[in-house]
Amino acid sequence: MRRTACLVVAAALAALAAGRAVPAPSPSRLVMAIPQDPGSPLNLYVTSHSRFDALLDLVYDKLFAPSPYMDEPIPWLAESAHPVDPWTWVVRLRSGIRWHDGRPFSAEDVRFTFTYYRDGPQNRHSHHVSEVPHIKDVVATDPRTVRFVCAYPCPTLRRITLADLPILPRYVWEGIPDPRAFSGLPVGTGPYRLVEYRTGHGLRFVANPAYFRGRPRVAELVVPVIPEPATTFGALRRGEVHAAARPVPPELLQAIGNSSVVRVVRTRSLTLAELRLNFERWPLDDPAVRRALSLAIDRESLVRIVLLGRGRPGTRGYPHPDSPWTNPALRTPFDPGAARRLLEERGFLDRDGDGVRESPDRRPLRFVVKVPSNEPVLVRAAELVGQQLQRVGIRAAVQALDPGAVAALFRTRDFDLVLDIATPHAVADPDQFVMSHRSGYLWRKGLPYPEMDTLVDAWMAARTVEGRKRVLFQMQELFNRQPTSIALWYPDEFWAFRRDAYDGWAASPGYGIFHKFSLLAPSVRAGTVLEGR
Amino acid sequence: MARWVPYCALAWVVVTVNFALPRVAPGHPLDYLLGEEAARLSPRQRAEALRAFGLDRPLHEQYIAYVVGLATGRWGRSVRFGRPVLEVIAERLPRTLALFVPATLIAVFLGTVLGAWAGYTTRARWDAGVSSAVLLLDAMPGFWIAMVLLSVFAVELGWFPVSGSSFAASPQPWEQVRRAVLPAATLVLATLGRTFLVVRGAMRSVCQEEFLWALEAKGLPPRAVLWRHALPNAWLPAYTQIVLHLGAGAGGAVVVETVFGYPGMGRALYEALLARDYPLLQGILSVVAFATILANAVADATYPRFDPRLRGGPAA
Repeated sequence: MRRTACLVVAAALAALAAGRAVPAPSPSRLVMAIPQDPGSPLNLYVTSHSRFDALLDLVYDKLFAPSPYMDEPIPWLAESAHPVDPWTWVVRLRSGIRWHDGRPFSAEDVRFTFTYYRDGPQNRHSHHVSEVPHIKDVVATDPRTVRFVCAYPCPTLRRITLADLPILPRYVWEGIPDPRAFSGLPVGTGPYRLVEYRTGHGLRFVANPAYFRGRPRVAELVVPVIPEPATTFGALRRGEVHAAARPVPPELLQAIGNSSVVRVVRTRSLTLAELRLNFERWPLDDPAVRRALSLAIDRESLVRIVLLGRGRPGTRGYPHPDSPWTNPALRTPFDPGAARRLLEERGFLDRDGDGVRESPDRRPLRFVVKVPSNEPVLVRAAELVGQQLQRVGIRAAVQALDPGAVAALFRTRDFDLVLDIATPHAVADPDQFVMSHRSGYLWRKGLPYPEMDTLVDAWMAARTVEGRKRVLFQMQELFNRQPTSIALWYPDEFWAFRRDAYDGWAASPGYGIFHKFSLLAPSVRAGTVLEGR
Repeated sequence: MARWVPYCALAWVVVTVNFALPRVAPGHPLDYLLGEEAARLSPRQRAEALRAFGLDRPLHEQYIAYVVGLATGRWGRSVRFGRPVLEVIAERLPRTLALFVPATLIAVFLGTVLGAWAGYTTRARWDAGVSSAVLLLDAMPGFWIAMVLLSVFAVELGWFPVSGSSFAASPQPWEQVRRAVLPAATLVLATLGRTFLVVRGAMRSVCQEEFLWALEAKGLPPRAVLWRHALPNAWLPAYTQIVLHLGAGAGGAVVVETVFGYPGMGRALYEALLARDYPLLQGILSVVAFATILANAVADATYPRFDPRLRGGPAA
């Protein structure tokens, strides 16, 4: 009896082990792991965070590509876009484009999309139609022509807005009573068709053979959800997945390394690590105190100690210096002496000798730095920032919170300082920079800020791209003089993939290397990706 | 009938606390129900949303509607997944049970066998060795056990798949079993200790009972004394613990499911927590609470089967 049981157990183990062989990867099928479930079959009203943009882009196209983060986006669904006057643009669409189900794409779809984003239920694109910029009117003048009329000059409409908003099929979305409850598979014009979404498991795409930029190079794309980085990169080493659409964390970099099979490439990320300041709370409502904090932080040592040199110090301020819309002259120096002088001028002195400065009415300069607990690099950085601030007489205690609680701080405003990572949408899109001064992220609409308000008025009145840039650069200089978000570093990102499965990856600013342009033939993706890696 | 009153009262408390959760938290309940969307709503859209969620009605009406909704299967819509909460739970719960029930049964079996033997044996070194090994396992964090198993058996040896989630169009049952082996092994190793300790402690007490001496004096072999007579008496405290553990298991194993990418209730709970998806959180907490209450009731109802002293009827 015992022998039989042993044989059964041994047979079961042998059978389990025998099934371990991984099928040889082929370019016809690529498995690419993502860290987070999009939460829906790419419904833009549920999957609304910009971290899912690259997935949405597989299905949807924009009028211009690849994004507002590229200096000069190229026409994509559009053939051309011309300004009639500072308020009006005429966009001519390509002919012969079809939705995934074969129906023809037309100017009516473009008109519907922009109107729906503006007047329908809100999603993350809405304020880029209703506020910055404010598109007053969209008219389809013929099946291939759309006329956009803005409420105030919109010289950057082509380069930013038209390269940012995905186009939806009118015949699908106009019949949906509540888009947030819509759980059907999406219909787009993009290179891939989503054919399956299983909550918690992932997504499966098949190539759109009739894609107007040519059939994608990989026929089937399987995108499993694997939340844990160690599991993701373990699966990559074993060949269970062929690419990981998440940067390799610094602690795993050595273990993954470059090999004959796995390749790791480095790209400059368009994210930045920021120390966000609650400008509505004393004493951070004082611009001089905010500037003193910025002067007191040694960003070079943060990069050296915390990132082990894998990034650039945030000495070129906020927004991201690699964005074509950022003032190249911005500088945020480390000068603790100047920080001390500034605090003394404002009456902050260490009156009781405890190492912490107090205001004239004896209120100490004590803060709490909140930081997401799942990011050890950020927690360590927060500790170092605390030590650096201590040297100028400011005490900053670190409090690690779960990521959900940190995200909720945007709404509750219950913080002094928050250390977190800002996305490309926040730090490389100039319209978002203006919008963030209304939303409460960098400033709040209605809260007095005369200098910035004057500049925003000038920005809104500017009729040319150059004029807009000039004012934008002044806004950025003002912002960094009295920051409500202090750039700490600009991280480098490392991406890993199996070269035996697919080797056509190329970087596009803000997206890393895993995006639809990497899956298109090199001849048609020129202008959407950076040369080399 | 009276025996059910405490359970009903407990269920009512759970329902009420769940109802209160988004309402007593700082901010407006709409912030929690819609997430960051709430901040972007126009006054008209906000009014519509308030009406849609019934938040424009008096509190007592909201409470009645909530209880009726719970009873009739209208548990709201998940903000994170944009789908009815019950649908998300119905998808995740079977996966968690498929992992948790076998893992618990194996852990109980091993814990009971090892605990009974360690408590019964007179060889102190063997007892110390087994107890130390099990306690060491018990002290290890679940995520660490998971990472070790993953590195050794999946990444290095390649015996099992790395990820607990299969994305084949129609995964074969055998493939699903292979993917569940390492998560289940982690759960077994991480939970084995509690049964072991309870059974070992109980066995030590039972070994002092005179009836065992009498059985040994009658010449019964030690194995028969241990398994047929000592263990049934020592197993009673472990039984309650096991049933309660199974009840709480409806909530899944957050860490194990997250490390292995296993799409069960634990991972849904984690994702709902990160996204502050209160409708889904409320739903999962309700399931866990009801399952625990049910497990309590089952334990109470079935305990007399194992312990004749608790059976009703005229006193002997």
